[in-house]
Amino acid sequence: MDYILNGLFQAIQLLIHGDAETYSAVAATLKVSTGSMIASILIGIPAGFLLGHHDFPGKKPVRTLVDTLMSLPTVLIGLLVYALLTHHGPLGHFGLLFTLEGVAIGQTLLALPVVIALTATSIESMDEKLRITLISLGADRKQVVLSTLWEARYGILAASMNAYGRVMTEVGIAMMVGGNIKWHTRTITTAIALETSKGQFVSGIALGLILMAIAAMVNISLSFLRNRS
Amino acid sequence: MTSEGDTFKTLWPKRRQLSHQDADIYQLFNIKKYHRRQLAVDIESLTISPASITGLIGPNGSGKSSLLRLLAFVDSPSEGKILFKGRKAVPYDDSVRFQVSLLPQEPYLLKRSVFDNIAYGLVLRGVNRSRHAEAVVDALSLVGLSAEEFAGRSWYQLSGGEAQRVALAARLVLQPSVLLLDEPTASVDAASAQQIKASALKACMKWGTTLIVASHDWQWVHEICNRVIPMFNGKVMENGRGNILLGPWRPEAEGYWEKVLADGQVIRVSEPFSRATAAVIPHDSISLSLDKPRLSPHEHFLQGVLTLLAFDPSTDSIQATIRIADLSFTLRIPTKHAQKMLLFPGQKVYITYPVSAVLWY
Repeated sequence: MDYILNGLFQAIQLLIHGDAETYSAVAATLKVSTGSMIASILIGIPAGFLLGHHDFPGKKPVRTLVDTLMSLPTVLIGLLVYALLTHHGPLGHFGLLFTLEGVAIGQTLLALPVVIALTATSIESMDEKLRITLISLGADRKQVVLSTLWEARYGILAASMNAYGRVMTEVGIAMMVGGNIKWHTRTITTAIALETSKGQFVSGIALGLILMAIAAMVNISLSFLRNRS
Repeated sequence: MTSEGDTFKTLWPKRRQLSHQDADIYQLFNIKKYHRRQLAVDIESLTISPASITGLIGPNGSGKSSLLRLLAFVDSPSEGKILFKGRKAVPYDDSVRFQVSLLPQEPYLLKRSVFDNIAYGLVLRGVNRSRHAEAVVDALSLVGLSAEEFAGRSWYQLSGGEAQRVALAARLVLQPSVLLLDEPTASVDAASAQQIKASALKACMKWGTTLIVASHDWQWVHEICNRVIPMFNGKVMENGRGNILLGPWRPEAEGYWEKVLADGQVIRVSEPFSRATAAVIPHDSISLSLDKPRLSPHEHFLQGVLTLLAFDPSTDSIQATIRIADLSFTLRIPTKHAQKMLLFPGQKVYITYPVSAVLWY
C-alpha cells in the first residue's frame, strides 16, 4: 500500500517542482486529446444530427455500424492508422507517423463513433412537438436545426464527455502511432505503461493521479457550465 | 407600465390591415395526408374566412390534429394544395412563417426561461431586444400570469396549466394572422382552461386573428365559433351540424339497419354502404319532446337525459345535449321554443328523427 501513498506524494512533488518530463507528457496528452476532440465534435455533431433527425433508406444498418464502432478496440485503430501512415502506406508521404498529429487522427477515429451515436440518440429523443413548436414560432430550416441542437445540448455535452474520457485514457493508439518518444510523443498513458514495465510503480501512480486530476477538472468545469445555463 | 394594447401597437407599428377581408384566408383543394400509409386527412375542398372563429370537432383520430398541422404549414400534404391568402404556400415559406402559429395539445417549452420562451419568436422576427421585456410582460398578463412571478422561472418550474398558458403567450406575443389551437383545454386545470379560452378570444377581438380550434369542449366551441366543422375519418362534414354515430350496423326488418346501445335501446338508420361506416343525424332533423312522442311512419325515437343547455348567439337558439346510453346527442331549439318547454338539465326527454334524414359518410 505504501507505494500508492508515495505515488500521491510524488505526484504533488513532480507538479510543484515543475518536472519537465512530466509536464511534457501532460502537454502532449492535452494537445492530442484537444485536437482529436475538436475534430470529432466538428464532424460528429453534424453527422449525429443527420443520423438522428432524418429518415433515409439504410438508416438502420448505418446506426448499427456506428454503434458497433463505439466499441472498436484502440489497438485495432492503432494498427489501421499505423498502416495508413507508414512510409509505404497510402498516406505515408505526409510524414505523420510518430507525431502527435498522427495520434490525434487515430483518437479522432476513436471518439467519432461515440459523438455521432450519442448525439443521434439525444436528437432522436427530442420530441416531434419541438419541431412543431419551432416552426409555429417562425423558425426557418436553419433555425430549426440550431435550436434543436441547443435543446439537445445536455445530451450532446454528455456525448462529448464520454468521448473525451475515452480519448484521454486510451493507450493503444498513442503507443502504436505515437511511438512513446520522450519529449515528443510521450503522453501520460504511454509514460505510465513504460514506468510500469520498468517496475517504477511510484512514478506510474503519480502520472495516473495527474491524469485523473485533469479528468476531474474538465468534468467539474463542464458541470459548472451546465449549472449556469 | 403601459396597457398591453399600447405596447403591441408600438411593437408592430404598421399593423396589417385585413386587405383580404373578402377573400378566404385558407383554400384547400383535394388535400390528402398519409401517416404511415394511413389516410389521416382527406378533404376535397375547404375554405376558411379571415377573422373568423372555426371549431373542429370529432372523435379522437378523426384527423383534427393532422388538419391543424397542415393549416399551420408544419406538415406538407401528401396530395393537393393549400392556398394562404390566395397564394400557394408550403412549410417554411416566408409568406406563412410569421403569419400562422399552432399551439399543440401538449405544449413544448424550450429548455430556457419563461421569458426566453416567449421572446423566442420575437428574436426570430428581428424585433429589437429593448422591446422584448415589455412585450413579454404584456403577453404574460394576457394569459393571466404575473411577469414578476413567472418571467424568470425555468421551463421545469411550471405546472401543466401554467406551461400551456406560457406556450399560448409565446404565440400571442407574435400577433399571428392565424392562431390554431389543438385541444387547448384538454389537459389543464379548470382555471387555466378558463383563462386560455378568454385570452384566445381576446386576441381575435383585438387583432382580427383568425382562430381555428379543435376541441372536445363542444359547449365552448358552439358558443364562440362562427362555424363548426365536424370531422370523421379524416373527412370534413360540410354543412354538418350533426350527430356522428359510429357503426357497426346490422340489418333489421323492412330495409332498416340498427345498432343496439348499452341500455338496450336501438338506433334505427337507413341502409349504410358498409357495416362500419359513420352515420350522421343532422341537428335540425331531430325534435325534442318531454312526453313520449307519437310517431309518424318512418320516424324513430330514443329516450335520454338532458345534460347541457347552451345559448348559441349566432343562430339565436339553444344547443341542447342529451345523453342516451353512452352517446351524446346535440340539437338546436329556437330560444322561444325552449323557453316555453321550461327545459332544465337532468330532465328525462325524448328525441325523434325521421330515418330518412340519416346521412352516411
